[in-house]
Amino acid sequence: MTETQVNVRYMVGEVQAAVDWYTGHLGFEVQLNAAPAFASVQRGPLRLLLSGKAASAGRPMPDGRQPEPGGWNRFQVVVEDIEAEVARLRGEGVSFRNPIVSGPGGSQILAEDPSGNLVEIFQPAAAFSR
Amino acid sequence: MKRTAAIALGLTLLSAAQGARAQAPNDRFDKPADLGVARMRYMVNDIQGSVAFYTDKLGFKLVTQSGPFFAFLTRGDVQLLLSPVKGPGGASQPMPNGERPAPGGWNRIVLYVPDLDAAVAALREQGVHFRNDIVHGLGGNEILLEDPSGNPIELFQPG
Repeated sequence: MTETQVNVRYMVGEVQAAVDWYTGHLGFEVQLNAAPAFASVQRGPLRLLLSGKAASAGRPMPDGRQPEPGGWNRFQVVVEDIEAEVARLRGEGVSFRNPIVSGPGGSQILAEDPSGNLVEIFQPAAAFSR
Repeated sequence: MKRTAAIALGLTLLSAAQGARAQAPNDRFDKPADLGVARMRYMVNDIQGSVAFYTDKLGFKLVTQSGPFFAFLTRGDVQLLLSPVKGPGGASQPMPNGERPAPGGWNRIVLYVPDLDAAVAALREQGVHFRNDIVHGLGGNEILLEDPSGNPIELFQPG
């Protein structure tokens, strides 16, 4: 069902640690585990490709730049009760980069995976809810 | 030339698949996972320039835009949120330690294309910048292009 699947690739330091984190805290299921090079985990329509340095996506660029984890671009997990979700995750030892912030569209917070990649937990503003 | 790229990227196929479904559920802002779509947020330097890039070069559809502060685009089952590095939106706010969200990095959306060589050729012709050349991996071939802010998008052809 590739038509209804969205693929996002994250660079990670340690593939197995990433697999454990995404399955343990965010409800992903392992689809393929070829650690330490690569793994893919699935949550709903999102397939998250976790690539380590040994994966083809981990190869350096022609100019020598090495792909690495981090940055600010992230996928979003939409929740109905962000306070409760954050409390649950904090209880599990998940670290966050900021406190919950509110904007015109809703409230959000940035969780960090073991490699320092971000996952945005987002609760839409009332205006967007059903 | 836009059309060439769009065809090379397999957008005609995508549109057909979408038409077969009920009214595009990916236009909804709430609960994307329940709706069979997934959502990514990219930080960008300039909303307008980025919207033009994603719609003209990569076949995204603009659903909502709040001037220079936010844009919401879709392509198939991908929802893409664009947030500027400064603005009133939650994603544009600095961290408690003063660090500001910025474009770039290596994490990205992967767009499947039926013919990677053709897609790359068409996009290069339009002046799109690529970070690398096509890489042959175990699962297929891939390449990284950059949006105007330097964010990566991966084009992937399974095989």
